[in-house]
Amino acid sequence: MPELSDVHNEFIRAEIEEFILDENEQRHIVQMYAKISPQMQDIAATIIDGDNHLSDELTKKALDGGVEAIQIMDNGLIAGMAIVGIKFRENFIFVPEVLACARAMKAGMAHIEPILSAAGIEPIGKVIMGTVKGDLHDIGKNLCIMMLRGAGFEVIDLSVDVSPEMFIEAFEQNSATVIGMSALLTTTMPNMGVTIEAFIDEGLRDDVRFMVGGAPVTPEFAEDMGADAYGANAVECVEVAKRLAGETQTATA
Amino acid sequence: MAQETGEIKTMTPRQRVLAALRREPVDRTPVCNPTSVATVELMDLVGAHFPAANRDPEKMALLAQTGHTELGFDTIMPVFSIIQESSALGCKMQWEGKDNWPTVKMAEPIWSEPQDIVIPPDLLKHRDTQCVLEAIKILRKRFGDDVCIIGKTMGPWSLAYHTIGVEKFLLMSLDDPDKTRRVLDKLKKVTIDFGMAQIEAGADALTLPDHATGDLVSGDYYDRYLKEMHIEFVSDIPIPLILHICGRTVDRMDYIAQTGMAAFHYDSKNGPGESMAEVKGRIALVGNINNPETLYSKGPDSVQEEVWKNLDAGVPLVGPECAIPLQTAIENLKQIPLAVKQWHKEKAGRT
Ligand code: B12
Ligand SMILES: [Zn+2]
Repeated sequence: MPELSDVHNEFIRAEIEEFILDENEQRHIVQMYAKISPQMQDIAATIIDGDNHLSDELTKKALDGGVEAIQIMDNGLIAGMAIVGIKFRENFIFVPEVLACARAMKAGMAHIEPILSAAGIEPIGKVIMGTVKGDLHDIGKNLCIMMLRGAGFEVIDLSVDVSPEMFIEAFEQNSATVIGMSALLTTTMPNMGVTIEAFIDEGLRDDVRFMVGGAPVTPEFAEDMGADAYGANAVECVEVAKRLAGETQTATA
Repeated sequence: MAQETGEIKTMTPRQRVLAALRREPVDRTPVCNPTSVATVELMDLVGAHFPAANRDPEKMALLAQTGHTELGFDTIMPVFSIIQESSALGCKMQWEGKDNWPTVKMAEPIWSEPQDIVIPPDLLKHRDTQCVLEAIKILRKRFGDDVCIIGKTMGPWSLAYHTIGVEKFLLMSLDDPDKTRRVLDKLKKVTIDFGMAQIEAGADALTLPDHATGDLVSGDYYDRYLKEMHIEFVSDIPIPLILHICGRTVDRMDYIAQTGMAAFHYDSKNGPGESMAEVKGRIALVGNINNPETLYSKGPDSVQEEVWKNLDAGVPLVGPECAIPLQTAIENLKQIPLAVKQWHKEKAGRT
């Protein structure tokens, strides 16, 4: 069983000790990091620290040194994001800090993405995300997108004020299997159900899984409107998306 | 614990609210709506609907007064949204329809650097700031000195969200504190000028929303960027100010209590007891009936329960936590003043 002392990077060790307080979660994170090379841990640290310049620099250096793009993404960038998500969920950091981490992730991904797509490497799933019609709140949705990308999903972001027709159009144009809808207003929450209805009317409902979230949305409300899953925060959003993407893969297989 | 009763003569709603804002004795706890009580049902009742009720002073006044005439609140608040001055600053707007609030298209911000910020000289002549000023005048004339009329002027932090974009502004706050302060410094003129104009139009008190909420930023941020500026507002604006920040705020209430503001409008994510303990009598709390779960989804009994929790904790002004959902049932809103009166009948004097 790996111990905290098996994590090479001192900054990451301190982060884990200070912020990952749930025992199971800590064991899981330590296990993950103990297997990661010191060089990749340095990259993960730039994400946790929200340092986009260093993330850019170290990612480039690692690629130049012959490390595979997918390695850097999984063991550097995504591993870093895992700690960021937990710190945010537990209120150790707030939105500005998470935005800085996202910016660092983006700086690294700018080098990785072209290589992965040229090599034809598939993302772990494709998700369409949008804030529903009449609603312009997008901070929470954007954090979810960032964590989804950070977990290896390809995300099509429809932005805000997204009508049912726009969700359908995006679904038909992209081979996504999961749609995530966000709503922050009680006045716009019903538009989630309206969108699901529209998919039923078009005969598309069985081809897609819906996940929903946003402050006023509850698991009960999600069930009432016929969604497949509810997620309370960005970390849960990733878990739910993985589960739903798995379901659709077995369903179509 | 609660306010004294008994010896105090019956007050008018205005006297009651202003006394509570000064933390002086009242005949009974006032019911207050520092953000908005507009609902679709009330719009239908008086024929003043969104979006017109946000842009036409007569309709704005008509819808606002239902807070007093239909619901029985002690205050009237004519500003149902947070966008009037942003529209006057030139932000791109989405006015929406009857069943949704208007909003600023924040994906298309108008400024990005402090030097971009130019407050239009005719800010207060713009139709969307004028509308508020005219509505306050109409209401003052219609209700005389009987009811407390509350205006609303947005703080610089919220104005920065609208004009620069939330994410860009929040990143700036992390990257460049100096630049952030310059932005806030330039925007505070809007807060003061619009506030002063509303006083002249007849407002008795002003709500000052400035969304440095626990859902977005740390409590330390409030201390770092806003406390001093809010203290300045108190000395520059000569009527009671009600700071509004929704979300979890207990971690910054101590700072908020140091600003000298008359009141803090607090959210149901904070318990009445813990909040009262945090502010220690330095500022009056207003709140904190939950919107989505209680007022919107439950019935009068649950509303009463939450009102009483506030009264039991000694909260001096009671009302919804923030702009209430537009589909909220009138019955639930009427229950707030009823529950306050009932509490005083049953409990006051025994505490
Ligand atoms: C910031 C904010 C704004 C910003 C929006 C900026 C932006 N670009 O998003 C501004 C100031 C511009 C704004 C405007 C308005 N707002 Co506003 N706003 C908020 C505030 C303070 C925080 C919301 C937020 O970003 N939270 C932080 C993020 C990280 O949390 P989150 O969104 O919940 O997301 C997390 C989870 O929910 C989940 N999640 C989110 N989406 C999804 C999706 C999926 C698929 C999954 C699985 C999970 C998931 O993961 C996220 C990350 O952990 C809330 C108050 C509050 N306490 O929530 C009010 C609030 C949402 N606003 C409210 C209102 C009324 C408005 C306005 C109507 C005001 C007005 N004009 O008068 C406008 C509406 C504009 C519109 N049409 O959309 C009310 C809504 C009330 C109601 N009953 O409906 C709230 C609740 C305030 C209140 N207490 O009453 N607002
Ligand atoms: Zn609010």
